[in-house]
Amino acid sequence: MSGAATVPAEAAEPLLALSQVTKRFGSFTALSDVSLDLRPGEVHCILGENGAGKSTLCNLIFGVHQPDGGAMRYRGAPFSPSGPAAALAQGIAMVHQHFSLVGDMSVVDNVLLGRQRGILDRRQCARELEKLAADYGLPLDPFAKVEDLSVGERQRVEIVKCLIRDPQLFVLDEPTAVLLPDEITALLDVCRRVASSGRAVVLVTHKLAEIKKVADRVTVLRAGRVVATSSEPAKDIDALVRAMIQGNVDALDTSAASILGLDTVKHVAHEPAAKSRVEALQIDGLTVKDHQGVTRLDNFTLTVDRGEIVGVAGVEGNGQSELTAVLSGMMAPTEGRIYLGSSDLTGRSPKEITAAGVGIVPEDRHATGCVLAMSLAENIYLNRLDEFTRFGFLRRTALEREASALMQRFDVRARGPASSFLSLSGGNQQKAVLAREITLPNLSCLVAAQPTRGLDVGAVAAVYNHIRAACTRGIAVLLVSSELDELLTVADRIVVLYRGRIMGSCAADPARREAIGAMMAGHAQ
Amino acid sequence: MTTVNQQSGIGASARFSLRPTLLVPVLAVAFAAAVGLMLIAMIGVSVPNAVSAFVDGTIGSPYSLAASINCSAVFALVGFGFVLANRANLTNVGGEGQIAVGGIAATAVALYGHVSGLPLGLSFMLPTLAAVIAGALWGGLAAVLKVKSGTNEVISTLLLSFIGVWLLYWSVQSTALLRKPMTSSATLPESLEIPDETKLPLLTGDYSFPVHLGLPLTLVLAVVVWLILSRTILGVRLRAVGLNPVAANRAGISYAKTVMFALLSAGALGGLAGALMLLGEQYTLKDGFSSGYGFDGLVAGLLSRGSIPGVIAASLLFGFMRSGGINMEMVAAVPTALVVVIQGLIVITLAGATLFIEKWERR
Repeated sequence: MSGAATVPAEAAEPLLALSQVTKRFGSFTALSDVSLDLRPGEVHCILGENGAGKSTLCNLIFGVHQPDGGAMRYRGAPFSPSGPAAALAQGIAMVHQHFSLVGDMSVVDNVLLGRQRGILDRRQCARELEKLAADYGLPLDPFAKVEDLSVGERQRVEIVKCLIRDPQLFVLDEPTAVLLPDEITALLDVCRRVASSGRAVVLVTHKLAEIKKVADRVTVLRAGRVVATSSEPAKDIDALVRAMIQGNVDALDTSAASILGLDTVKHVAHEPAAKSRVEALQIDGLTVKDHQGVTRLDNFTLTVDRGEIVGVAGVEGNGQSELTAVLSGMMAPTEGRIYLGSSDLTGRSPKEITAAGVGIVPEDRHATGCVLAMSLAENIYLNRLDEFTRFGFLRRTALEREASALMQRFDVRARGPASSFLSLSGGNQQKAVLAREITLPNLSCLVAAQPTRGLDVGAVAAVYNHIRAACTRGIAVLLVSSELDELLTVADRIVVLYRGRIMGSCAADPARREAIGAMMAGHAQ
Repeated sequence: MTTVNQQSGIGASARFSLRPTLLVPVLAVAFAAAVGLMLIAMIGVSVPNAVSAFVDGTIGSPYSLAASINCSAVFALVGFGFVLANRANLTNVGGEGQIAVGGIAATAVALYGHVSGLPLGLSFMLPTLAAVIAGALWGGLAAVLKVKSGTNEVISTLLLSFIGVWLLYWSVQSTALLRKPMTSSATLPESLEIPDETKLPLLTGDYSFPVHLGLPLTLVLAVVVWLILSRTILGVRLRAVGLNPVAANRAGISYAKTVMFALLSAGALGGLAGALMLLGEQYTLKDGFSSGYGFDGLVAGLLSRGSIPGVIAASLLFGFMRSGGINMEMVAAVPTALVVVIQGLIVITLAGATLFIEKWERR
């Protein structure tokens, strides 16, 4: 490891030291001989791809899991928290990847949850909140309801919930995944401030830009092992990436590299389709109101041509889920129509929409894209199982043969077509879903929502390549993503969703990143 | 690794040379039996007497053996229905009512359907068919409620059971329905005995060993249900809807059709069970006709953990328990309540054992 520096001998006494910690889940080793120390006053980034063991590491520190081997020392004494409560009592706080807030309670009540017994002193708590807000730059209305807050504000609540306990060690597990560009900067700022007040901050991420900005030290995990460390991350960034993905950075797909933050974002054009400027998907004035009458999607009008990739940008929860649900036939629109070519698809069932030639890669593949407990072959042909029957009997041999062929074409790695879908990694699951939707016999439109979420670099590149190839074949592609970099790299054109409305649209030009970011935050062009 | 709890240990048990899957249930039954015998000893009944009465009642004579087998067949049919619906994540607890309406339909057709003169066995097949249809309708009603308004099938099938059982009670109380003509004030509230032609043929033709056509029929249906669940597209659809109805819907698998199929079939099997009881054993419809068979069959389905051989094993156990228990009560004066207690003990220890097996496999 050329760039990996050794830990200076005169380093401060570590706050928390892990030595050769191992954690197994059944036969799967999530962490193997991991040694790590965290010192007061530093921001320590944990870098790694999905499944590298980052979250497991956090969960060991926070007492969610107990290690199977090795030892932890906290403030010089042996440390083995029996659960999160024990870790909290010793001054360790954690912000989880997914929020744990009660939506219809106020900020103060959420902060008080689990802290006070008997009589709640809301005013005292609100005063403390305001002091924290001033100290760390985390403005919050203590009496606002959490469900009325934006995602960024909700995360502030999570952070304040931790800080109010005055922790010595502050762990954040992939906190930036859901934030706007501005909010990410603000969050990194908070990390810096917390660290400079003499606490240790652990920041889990797979984004290099964040590391460059804030990290004092970096530990890289791959497949449960520490593969590199650095105390000058900005200088060693290439070596760290190489360690993380175990590959040659130069050979990396350009678009994947830019998502990673390795490169400046470049637009990579797909080969133009033979037949251009033919309208394929036409969405006309689509409006969706939920059962409470709240407008989730407001007069959404968009046309996608054959051979074009249109990106839908926006922070999550601004109508994207409703848009894909309506397009896939899982939800009926309140108003508006959807046309594919000349046929009206409004209010059709999912089966009819599939039959019409619309492929859907759903945003939540576990909830709507697959049946986890069934086999890979059954999942990869879930919508076409009828083609593999004779007198009602399923022709498993034929099904598995065809599935094997698809697995090869789409590089889905598994022990075999009969293996359980559950046993596949997230990337391979997604490739299987993509394979199913993209190989529909009469595909003319593909709607892909967050297609690379949770995937590692290799899988991301593969997904992009398949989407681009489909587009070159003349398929109209609607790509819904909350990763702006992804859209800037892959799409031809971007529309921005904000509170269910189209805030504006423009060409997918990296130079317009800031303008698009502003639209994502609700500022009109 | 936030997804780790999803990784259940499918196939993990294959590594163990000593599979507890068979051993543990046997131990559980033995344990429950031992506790039961202790209870019998404690109330002052001679244990050897009780045991010999139990053995007499189960395999002591050709007649008791046949009675046990017939009883097991009924449990197995209800159990198959439970397993089939459960594949679609539906819990059919309506076996009792499906048996009752099956019994009513079979009685009505056998007595008043002018079927006794028909050739080719139609005289018992038509009442059977009527029972199957009645049971299917009873299950289908719960399916319609589930699909149209999302009514929980546990509640609807259970309540439909009460309705079915009380319909039966009504039909044998009223001479306008199925009650036999009142010749005196002592005439029992029950139907006439069905004509001989409509009774299910006995395999041996001999009333000393009265195993009827229900046994081969149940075995054939065991194979059919097993094939449906493991080999057909219907089985895959049931599983897909059961495991992830949203993804199944997205993939074009109809939730409504699948739920209808599952509950109609479960109901049909329950109705058939009612036909076997009436046309094969009881011959007259009377109050208390279903007497908990539907619930015992449900338990057999539950304990089988979704496997058809498991249903057969549990049904045999319960079938023999029931006929042995009756004899224990009659011959050795063991109170009925205690017999029920022992049955309950077996269910609880078996359920506990099932939990243990699942934990073992997950390790």
